[in-house]
Amino acid sequence: MVNPNQTAYFLPRGDLDLLIQSLRSDDRDVVGPHVRDGALVLDEIESATDLPVGVGALNAPGRSNIVEGDGTRVFDQPPGAMSWKRWTFPPRVTQAVWTDSEGPIPARQIENPPRHITRKAFLGVRACEIAALRIQDKVLMGGPVVDSDYVARRNDNLIVAVECAVAGGTCFCTSMGTGPEVTDGFDLALSELDDGFVIRVGSPAGWLIVEELPVTPATDGQLADARASVSRVRDQMPTTVATEGLPQQLIAAAESPRWQQIAERCLACTNCTLVCPTCFCTSVSQHSDLDGRSASTERSWDSCFTLDFARVAGGNFRPRTADRYRQWLTHKFATWTEQFGSFGCVGCGRCITWCPVGIDVRDELMAIAPPSADPVRIELPIRTPIQEQHRPMPWVPATVIDKRRETADAVTLRFRTDYAPLLAGQPGQFVMASLPAVAAPPISVSRFHEDGFELTIRAAGAATAQICALERGEILSVRGPVGRGWPVEQAIGRDVMVITGGIGLAPLRPLLDWLIAEREHIARIQLSYGARTPADRLYTDELAKLARGGIIEVAETVDRAGPEWLGRVGVVTQVIDRVMCSCDRTVAFICGPERMMQATVDVLHERGVPDERIWVTLERHMDCGVGLCGHCQLGAKFVCKDGPVFSLAELGPAFAIEGL
Amino acid sequence: MTATGIPLTPRPQPNPRWAAARRPRVGVVKFSSCDGCQLTMLDLEDELLAITERFEIVEFAEATSNRSHGPFDVLLVEGSISTSDQAEEIVQLRHQATSLVAIGACATSGGIQALRNLGDHDAFRKAVYPNPQWIEALATSKPVSEYVAVDAELYGCPISGRQLLELLTALTVGRRAQLPDEAVCAECKRLGNPCILVTHGVACLGPVTRTGCGALCPSFGRGCYGCFGPRESANTPSLGDWLRTIGYGDDEIAREFAKFNVGAPAFRQMVEDKS
Repeated sequence: MVNPNQTAYFLPRGDLDLLIQSLRSDDRDVVGPHVRDGALVLDEIESATDLPVGVGALNAPGRSNIVEGDGTRVFDQPPGAMSWKRWTFPPRVTQAVWTDSEGPIPARQIENPPRHITRKAFLGVRACEIAALRIQDKVLMGGPVVDSDYVARRNDNLIVAVECAVAGGTCFCTSMGTGPEVTDGFDLALSELDDGFVIRVGSPAGWLIVEELPVTPATDGQLADARASVSRVRDQMPTTVATEGLPQQLIAAAESPRWQQIAERCLACTNCTLVCPTCFCTSVSQHSDLDGRSASTERSWDSCFTLDFARVAGGNFRPRTADRYRQWLTHKFATWTEQFGSFGCVGCGRCITWCPVGIDVRDELMAIAPPSADPVRIELPIRTPIQEQHRPMPWVPATVIDKRRETADAVTLRFRTDYAPLLAGQPGQFVMASLPAVAAPPISVSRFHEDGFELTIRAAGAATAQICALERGEILSVRGPVGRGWPVEQAIGRDVMVITGGIGLAPLRPLLDWLIAEREHIARIQLSYGARTPADRLYTDELAKLARGGIIEVAETVDRAGPEWLGRVGVVTQVIDRVMCSCDRTVAFICGPERMMQATVDVLHERGVPDERIWVTLERHMDCGVGLCGHCQLGAKFVCKDGPVFSLAELGPAFAIEGL
Repeated sequence: MTATGIPLTPRPQPNPRWAAARRPRVGVVKFSSCDGCQLTMLDLEDELLAITERFEIVEFAEATSNRSHGPFDVLLVEGSISTSDQAEEIVQLRHQATSLVAIGACATSGGIQALRNLGDHDAFRKAVYPNPQWIEALATSKPVSEYVAVDAELYGCPISGRQLLELLTALTVGRRAQLPDEAVCAECKRLGNPCILVTHGVACLGPVTRTGCGALCPSFGRGCYGCFGPRESANTPSLGDWLRTIGYGDDEIAREFAKFNVGAPAFRQMVEDKS
């Protein structure tokens, strides 16, 4: 019955179960729509009777009800409560396991422990959901570093798409350009008619399934009926979101009062993000047994609506619900386009249906960024090219070979490693430093050596306190070097201003090392360094020696002086004021708390240093260090991989907007 | 490997505040409460042996009549402060404890007995007792943190045994205990539950309630009744408005919040506004 020149067939309604059994052969699990506890979910399907036969669903903002449907029809519903990411990107995945056995501790780590992933056939994938899978593919497999668990789970999925026959009350795929027609990205695509299904074949794997079925070539009449059905859905669904110019308008509305108005309704409960088929943010949590025999890390779904999401030691970048809602909406409809070349929304409407208080993203978008005959045009910043990373990005052991106390709560540890990429790190790059069962914080590299590197760490929390407590001969597990460092080449032939405070000197030290090595090519090197007290200054002997030798000019200041301090007292910006600068040929490198950096930037602006030559390094919450966990986003930037070093020109207004 | 026996971390590092040569001394004490949180600890049957190997349980009100009076490395405090004697005793205990952890809704928000904070205490006493003058009780039932500084809180009525275990395990390796402050919804969605508020209009406090229970009630089709108390940024007015939109009366909404954590400000405000 199957003819390779024919791509559309007809399967009588009564034979639907044969399709399911054919999918189930070859050790495949079939996942499809199913009614459970009065809601349409996705679940394992063993036979056609598990499908929602004769069932409809009415969706509205904050409401979803199962209703009696049309006779024996099977797929007359809009998308249900769950998305396919539950199977391709599960809510919880064990990432690394340590067990008490032979060998040095970090070497005992088992990354991505072997797991049995059954082959899956996804039955009933709608057009918007095919688009969602492709978007997550781009995020999680598009590189430079890939999520290996996702790759394993996406491998060998069989996609049996279904073209929608009804439009849900919250659907807006026509606005987002993802549906309702199923055009590609499927192995098989079903269109439901009253007496059966038109099946289109989209891949060789699809052929193998269809060959086993009692199908007949689809008639012109059947094909016309299928087209008419999906065309009715398009007509039922008005275009409710105007996407033309939307990213630019949303970014321009970053300080709209509407964000606070939404926050008065928004529960920050995370439902919208966790039902979303494209949201990919995760957190890594540490687990261990009470008897200390094993430990593991687990990756779990997280959401930009939780307080912890943007938390760092001693602060939080998005404390208010308004900040978090803005992050979510602008990511989906603006910054995603710059990061991944598409919207982060496919118009499935789940975030509207499953919002417990019925906030309608369509209404909010149109209120914040109303369609306009003359859309606001703001040039989105040009994407910073990402340096090609080494994949996979492994965790490697590094041995402590020297330890020096810098201040009362900070030490410098020198590590030895033979991992070549770490030895070739760039000034300003950092590593993720893993203490199994405790945490894996990001730490800036404070010096590179031929046989290793140094980390200068302040005991700010539980994990950093334990890293500070490492002694010679002990081992730390590190991932890196990660991030984009200081653009050292900009210093050639210029006056260089290095401005920092306290522990912030650590990520600038490899830059100073580079500048000193290239001293003959650099006009001046001026370090402005502030600290809370004289005892809080790092590398004092080194700096004194460099200053005495006339290699760099050092201007120091402290907030509180002791009796032994004869230098300046005040904030670091006062020191910069006194620095003689040929500002038209100056490049500035800054590290410190954001308030300090903003004040410093103000001074530099007054003196005429352009944004292109003001470089800052940013701190954000980071769980992965390689652009996959989503925590560190600032506008369209992933601070971990696009930064942490940025020029003000790259950051634009994002540098100064509170809570972004 | 150190005396506390964690061979896992590159730097085996027990909590530096403990002397490495001995097991940390743990006490479990109670004030006004039902003992359910202590029972949760006793219900950790698979882990009890490991707990006693890692910790010296020097006092445990529900399990033994021995009392140590401290000092404690870790003191778990169940129950609310509702008499003047308790108010004095908790201060004494605080002096004996390096780390004091309030456990359960009573110790963290005042418990169900904090309903009296909203009413006329004298009238209640007269209504219940023939000789109310013999009843020595404060007019309010308050959380431990109203009287002394607490180092950590475990929420819930009762607490989650899993969270208690996480707290103890985190103490042994020196990590920050992972006790998220997100909504119950987050865990409910990870479990794959369709929202019962959306599908069935069931009044569910999950969106404003702190996670930790494993979304127990919504997993069985029952609305969350907030036994872990309000989470950070708990937008109770918005949830209340929605419940009214879908047909709940103000009295019904007030009753939803007038339960085990009525003493927590975000819930108490709803009871007062809607009553």
